Formats: sequence, structure tokens, C-alpha cells
Amino acid sequence: MSRTIRCTARVFLAAARRDFLITTRYADFVVGMLVWPILMPSLTVFAAKALAGPDGAGLSAFAERTGTTDYVGFVFAGMVLWMWLNMVLWSVGGELRAEQRRGTLESNWMTPAPRLAMLLGSGLNQMIVSVMPVFASLAVCSAAWGVRFAATPLVCLVFLVSTIAMFGMALAFASLVLFLKELNAAVFFLRGVFMVFCGLTSPLAVLPPWMRAVSRALPLTYSIDLVRRLSLAGASYADVSRDFWVLTAFAAGLMAAGCLAFLVVDRAVRRNGTLGQY
Amino acid sequence: MSVANAIEVEDLRRTFTRRAPNTLTRMFSRQRPKGGSNAKEAGCGDSGKRPAALVAVDGITFDIRVGEIFGLLGPNGAGKTTTIKMLCTLLEPTLGTARVAGFDIVREPARVRASLGTVLSGERSLYWKLTGRENLEYFAALYDVEPSTARERIRELLDRFELADKANELVERYSTGMRQRLSIARALLANPPVLLLDEPTAGLDPQSARNLREVVRELKGEGHTILLTTHYMAEADELSDRIAIIDHGKVIALDTPAVLKHHIQQMHSVEVETDRAPNGILDELRSLPLVRGVECVQSGNGYETWTIRVLTENSRQTLDALLDLLRAGGERVLNLRVAEPTLEDVFIALTGKSLRY
Repeated sequence: MSRTIRCTARVFLAAARRDFLITTRYADFVVGMLVWPILMPSLTVFAAKALAGPDGAGLSAFAERTGTTDYVGFVFAGMVLWMWLNMVLWSVGGELRAEQRRGTLESNWMTPAPRLAMLLGSGLNQMIVSVMPVFASLAVCSAAWGVRFAATPLVCLVFLVSTIAMFGMALAFASLVLFLKELNAAVFFLRGVFMVFCGLTSPLAVLPPWMRAVSRALPLTYSIDLVRRLSLAGASYADVSRDFWVLTAFAAGLMAAGCLAFLVVDRAVRRNGTLGQY
Repeated sequence: MSVANAIEVEDLRRTFTRRAPNTLTRMFSRQRPKGGSNAKEAGCGDSGKRPAALVAVDGITFDIRVGEIFGLLGPNGAGKTTTIKMLCTLLEPTLGTARVAGFDIVREPARVRASLGTVLSGERSLYWKLTGRENLEYFAALYDVEPSTARERIRELLDRFELADKANELVERYSTGMRQRLSIARALLANPPVLLLDEPTAGLDPQSARNLREVVRELKGEGHTILLTTHYMAEADELSDRIAIIDHGKVIALDTPAVLKHHIQQMHSVEVETDRAPNGILDELRSLPLVRGVECVQSGNGYETWTIRVLTENSRQTLDALLDLLRAGGERVLNLRVAEPTLEDVFIALTGKSLRY
């Protein structure tokens, strides 16, 4: 392994370790991470139970649209995946903003370390930390509702590809953070768009045609749909291959665009001198 | 680059474009746009209607020889930190060039950063939720220090800066002096040939500041080239082999402390202590014949007294007029002393004002 690759890998892991240590030193954060992913999907599951009627008559209509009567698994898969990808999506920009506020950004960027590796290392920590609530949520779903998710290699691959797509978007957001500093409004807007358009708690078939067109332009739509079909409905690779490759194309394109945006903005903030401003 | 120079700066200039406040900001802002910054206004400063440019560094040129301590001395806002930020590649110059250890700061930023250890002013450059050791381990990875070497290096630095006992405590529990020592330890992780220290003793108690100055001298003894910015005259005088005095973004004098002081050795510094702030007579004092500079500071002796410092070419000829003016202004003279000129007087002679305003 060449020295450059070793150095980059070390920076990547050092940044992940740094953030992991800092994260775990805030106890309330850990509690929040575990409780929220259990409470939030439960809300929708209870609403679904009520809407299905006392004898579950509404389930046949649900099955007709989704291909499964397991609405609990359907909702949990959508919500958990949304929350997990959200954490990854905001991780890089959020960490960059935290560095600006702490005053540590400049001391990091004065080193010869590759900045992309530092940023992606932060994202790696967030991804590792956010796996905890995913497992907690799935364990509760399994114990309380009896849902069984099939964790096949293909499902894991879909997770991986989805993560790459989200990291690409995360880098683009990080670039905006360097320029605009506060992005809360944009973050909430995009979070809302994903929530409504990606079929978190309902099948895409119930959306109006124009909304379905928008949802097809969002990678999270494919991630959620693929995980549901593969882990709940027992679909094979042949059944999902087209959507899988669309998601892969999204991941490649978004990662390339994110890296490019970051490199351009990195140079721009050195020119205009706004790096350390907050 | 000459092999004898660790840093070469040529006609370096940095201008910041200041955005005009938008309509809403102007409507809700009670403050009128203020002038009076140390840095110069350039371009169209039309009271917030159009962007104005702020010239933070205005065409400075200097070389720093290998192994020397070079002091960059100036008041707040003179352009010292902007210069440091350009040299450590956090900021690109608007014009001009600079080379650090032979590498161009714009074309070869990664190589420049690998040759530098930088301590910026302020104490928030470390992770307070990490321990001292964890901070150094993290930055060792960023400075590409091999893990096996890093362990030994971190142990050495913790011992050297007397932090070994507290190495496993969170930095948030450190004192300001300990954090500053840890920042310098971080800058030394990769044993870089050039160190940039921006106001390293700012905010430290006298004992910690003295210890840190001792460390700076040791680092020079080990062969490091050091660029030190400070607005403490005594510190610059004590540590620096050469000093560049910077004001309004320009280098207004550059030489050894001895030569700088020699230029005004024929002058005298008259210090007068009064019991109240001298209102309105400082300009009159400045206009006296033979007077080259006047400053007034509140005395740091715990009493409500003020010290007026007058730099004159001949104290015997100035004293009478000086005392007459003070008496006419109703000032009560508590103490009077004629002293040899210091580096502070050099600054007053060059700029007509004190460093500490």
C-alpha cells in the first residue's frame, strides 16, 4: 500500500475515532439515539392499525398496493432507513459546522492531511454510531411485532450503495456549510422532501403522478423500496436489478459531484478568507 | 529561494471585500457604519451602499533566515494574523508571493503545511472533549507521523511540556497555560523546520508567559526557525533576532532590536504620572518643538493614575514647556522620570502612537 493511501486511511480513521470519542462523552446523545428510532416508527404503526379497522380489513387494500400485508415491517423499514440515511446525510456538514463553532477547523486545515479524508472520517463515525439505533429499532420491531427482516448480502450491498449516495450529498452540503454557515432551514426542507416523497410510511402508488415523478429523482426512494422488496417481500436480484443499478448510478454521480463541489469550495474559502468565520 | 532563508515574503498583499449590509440589516441595526479600523479602506466605501475593500496586508516584503526568531510586532489589527494565515495557507494572498521552506504558499500548499508547525492565537484550537494525549494522537495522524514514531514523540512532548501527569485528562479541565503548551506540542509533532507562533503568550499569567518564552528560546536552540507575532514590546525585544514593525498592513521598520533602538538613542523618553486622564492636551504636547511622539496609558499600579510618555529629541528643552502645558490643563504631576528609549519608543517614534491602544 503506497504511503499516500496509508496516510489517507490513517486520517480517515483518526477523524472517525476523534468523533466517536467526543460523541460518547455526551451521554444524553446516546440515550436520544436509542429512544427516538423506536418511538417514531411506532407512531405510524399505531396509526396504521387504527386505519386498518378493527378486523384488519384495510390490510387487503394495503397488500394490493405494496405486495405485502406486513405493514409494521413496511413502516419500520422506511422510517429506520430514512433516519439512518438522514444521520449520514447531515453528518459531514454538521461536523464541519461544529468544527467552525469550536474553533478547531483551522487547526485541522493547517495540517497536510487530505481534507476529504478528514470529512469522510467524520461521516464514518456517524454511520457507525447510527447503526446502533438501527439495530435497536429492528430488535424492538422483531420482539414487539414479530417482524422478520431477511438480512441477505444483497440487502447489505443496498445499504452500502445507499451510504455512498448519501455521503456524496453530504459532501455537497458540507460545501454549502463553508459558504453559508447556517443551513438549518435547508436541512429541514430537504428532510421534509425525503419524508414526503420517498414513501417512508406509504407506498408510492398512493402519491399523485407528479409527486411520483419527483420521488424517482431521489436516491432514498430506491434505497427504501429495495430494502423492503428484498428483506420483507423475498424478491431476488433479478426482480430488483434495474432499480439496484439506478441506485448505484446515483451513488457514483452524487459522490463525484460532492467531491468536486467540496474541492471547488475549499479553494474559494481560502481565496475569500471565510474559513474560520462562524 | 536562498538556502539561508526559511521564509521569503515578497510584496504580499491581502484585501478583504466587505459586503454591504442588506436592507433588513440596515433597518434593524442601531449602529451606524463605523470607520476607524487600523486597516485601510480601499475602493468605494459608501456607508454600506456598496462593498468596500479592507486592505489588511499592504505589500509587505521580508525574509526570515534559517534558525532565527523573527518578531512581527504591531498593534491589534495591524495585519499580523492575516500574514500568518497566508503563510500557513489558510488564506490566499490577493497579490504577491511567499515561500516557506522553499515551497510556494499558493502552488504547493500541502508541502508548505508539511514544513510548518503553527499555533494560532486563541485557545479553541484543541478538542476540549478529548484528553491531551488523544489530541496529540489525532493530530499526529493528520501530520502523517507514523504510529510507531508518534507514540514515542507524544511521550517526549508531554514530558517536555510538563503535561505527562495530565495527559489522560480532558482538555476542558486544563488551565490556559496548559492548553497553550499543548498547542505548541501539537505544532512540534512532526518536528517541522519552521514554526509560526501567533501571540503565543496572550492571556497567560506572567510565570506561564516566562516559561513559554524559555521554550521558544529552546526551540531556536534546536534549529527551528520561528516567526513570532506579538504586541508585547518586551517579549519581541527579549526573543527576536530581528523585528519587523507592522502597522496598517505595512512593514514600517525591520532590523535587529538593538539597531532599531540605536536609531532613536539620541532621544529621551519623558514619563509623567498624573492623577487623572489628561483631556485635550495630548495634541498640544505632540505639537511641541522636538517632540516625536506622545502616548498616554492608565497606570497598571492599582491606583487611578495615568502615565504620559513623551518621546523628545532633547528632554532639557522640552521639560519646561511640557510641565507648563500640564499645569495649564489642571493636571497634578505625581511623578516624573527621564528614561532611555525602549522598543516601545521606537514604535511611538515611527507611528506617533502606542502599541496598546
